[in-house]
Amino acid sequence: MILLIEVTLCTIILKKMLEIKNLSKNYGNIKAIDNLSFKVNSGKIFGLLGPNGAGKSTTIKSIINVIKPNDGQILFDGNPINNNFLNRIGYLPEERGLYKKSKVIDVISYLASLKGLHPNEIISRANSWLAKLGVIDLRNRKIEELSKGNQQKIQFICAVIHNPDLLILDEPFSGFDPINQQEIKNFILDFLDNGKSIILSTHQMDTAEKLCSDILLLNNGKSVLQGSLQEIKQNFGGNHIRISFNGDQNILQSFSEVISYETFSNFIEVHLVDNFPPSEFLKKLVQTVSVNHFTIIEPTLEKIFIDTIKNEKSK
Amino acid sequence: MNKTLLVAKWEFIEKVKSKAFVVSLFLTPLLIILFSVAPTLLTQSEESETTVIGILDFTQEYYKQLSSDLESHKLKNNTPAYLVRNLYSNELTKDSMIIRSDIMVLNKKIDGYLIIEKSNSDSLITNYRSKSVGNFKLISILESSINNIYLKEALASRNIDVSVLGLFNNKVNINSVKIKQAGEEGESEFLTTFFSSMIFILLLMMMIIYSGQMLVRSLLEEKSNRLIEILVSSCSSNELLLGKILGLSFLGLAQILLWVLIGIAAVGSALVSYNAFENLPIILFYFLLGYLFYTSLFVGIGSIVSTEQEAQQITSYLSIILVLPIIFLLSAMQNPESTIVNILTYVPFTLPSIMIMKSNLMEIPLFEHLIAIVIMFISTTIIVFLSGKIFRIGILSYGKMPSLKELKSWLKD
Repeated sequence: MILLIEVTLCTIILKKMLEIKNLSKNYGNIKAIDNLSFKVNSGKIFGLLGPNGAGKSTTIKSIINVIKPNDGQILFDGNPINNNFLNRIGYLPEERGLYKKSKVIDVISYLASLKGLHPNEIISRANSWLAKLGVIDLRNRKIEELSKGNQQKIQFICAVIHNPDLLILDEPFSGFDPINQQEIKNFILDFLDNGKSIILSTHQMDTAEKLCSDILLLNNGKSVLQGSLQEIKQNFGGNHIRISFNGDQNILQSFSEVISYETFSNFIEVHLVDNFPPSEFLKKLVQTVSVNHFTIIEPTLEKIFIDTIKNEKSK
Repeated sequence: MNKTLLVAKWEFIEKVKSKAFVVSLFLTPLLIILFSVAPTLLTQSEESETTVIGILDFTQEYYKQLSSDLESHKLKNNTPAYLVRNLYSNELTKDSMIIRSDIMVLNKKIDGYLIIEKSNSDSLITNYRSKSVGNFKLISILESSINNIYLKEALASRNIDVSVLGLFNNKVNINSVKIKQAGEEGESEFLTTFFSSMIFILLLMMMIIYSGQMLVRSLLEEKSNRLIEILVSSCSSNELLLGKILGLSFLGLAQILLWVLIGIAAVGSALVSYNAFENLPIILFYFLLGYLFYTSLFVGIGSIVSTEQEAQQITSYLSIILVLPIIFLLSAMQNPESTIVNILTYVPFTLPSIMIMKSNLMEIPLFEHLIAIVIMFISTTIIVFLSGKIFRIGILSYGKMPSLKELKSWLKD
């Protein structure tokens, strides 16, 4: 019986999701977003990636009701978004800043109250978050007296204090030192455990690779790559190897199986034609040079990002 | 709680707490009182020390009478206001007497001295010589006294009754009386009316300009650090706009209340006459209407700026529109029922100032109040609506200020 309730609860929680259908937004003649559709599932981090000006910000602003799209639908749990939905999202903008002249606790209280949180609850939650992030001492200080990192922490608290169902984070780690980055990362992962959805927009590909299970790569307002990270990596053509050897690296050009290669200080990354077994390539290579190092590597998200965008440009 | 009220509460409390607000709260009325009351106070204040003056009477006819006239002026503590010294000497020539007297002035033995001599005709030539020439009060005492003596003697020498002189001093003055209701008078003096109207209109303007600037600056802060995105992702832009207008209106109300208290204190201490506050409820009402109207305007237009320079530019334009009615004020006061004043009474930009002034000058019929209220209500609603349209897009636009054409397209959106 209890199991059954848990199962139904789980399905209810899992049902929470954001669905974007045929979203378009024009600024004059420029198409900032062009017929974009995607889904953000609960309990997962959705990576919204793309070069500068790809339309990431416009997409986010459409979701949080800051701009009106020209066309398309934004559904949350199957319903069109409305003002009540605003209370269920948390947003951490890329460019940070709070009321400089105001006290930390006042700013948090104000922004939390606008999310519909009850005043009594605000204080207890604010205190617990301030304590969790180690800034409880700064409670009654003015924002302008805080260091940049601490201001970011306050801003993070403002984004999550109302326990939103959908959390939108735009470059959440910028400005944090590695220790704080790790801390924030853990808090973000805690959110996932509670069945929330997170949209993460970032230029840090290694972070996205570690955190995101689904990604959407945008370019010029259009989706150029979309799906689960695992599938994307598999489909990208996994035939990459890392080698180092004694001898002239130009020899690689003589192999017909080599599509491209990239030289780093201690090794070379080689992209082989699909379906050509790397072991066969190693056999061919040892006949001409002495190999010091050989590993088969998965393509990094960064590599996928750069190649895909470059391909798009050359089209 | 309603989100509009939450925004209003925040705007109110954060601004009330700001140092700039507290300073302006006390500084504004202080400045106005200083400019309007201080000059009168200073000129009216009695001298506290006895002034020594000399008289060099070459005619030898005026000294005695003049010195007794002057010494009859008393200070508050009943000591004589003036001490008179006779500088005439039979042993010296005219020029050396003047030089000796000049030296006495320069050595501060006397404040100054009066030279009286006969001209070729029957009249007198009088000069008051001192280190400064600004002593209007003394000069006017000397003038009236010497004229009196001169006329008395002239009349006596022509065998005319000296009491005729009294007739000349009975000048006729016209009092202007404001009719409140049939048979009921309201006291009205032009200067009092002018100053009290001026004080209220200046207060209104300073308050609007000041809070308008504060509003634009806080909008700019929210825009430049993208707080506005967090706000708009928490409540609708209309809730935000109305909240800001409401918050600032409360701020205005608090300010007025405090100023009224200061005003009452000023009346209590008899610095300002009660007349200035006779129409207070009406004045405050129009004060608020004007404040609300301009605040709504500032919110809409203020949302389009994205740099400090633009903010200054736009607030100064708005301030000029605001201050414009002052040009018409004096002429309006002299003729409150002229055509131009009647037209300005129906223009929402000038209506509050004109009505404040009119209510001090004359009894305004009820229907005129009603028309004014309807005009302000409709125009403020329209402004809030238009501001809302501009605000929604303006707060999220960065870079160049929009052209009029772009603004038009925002309004259509």
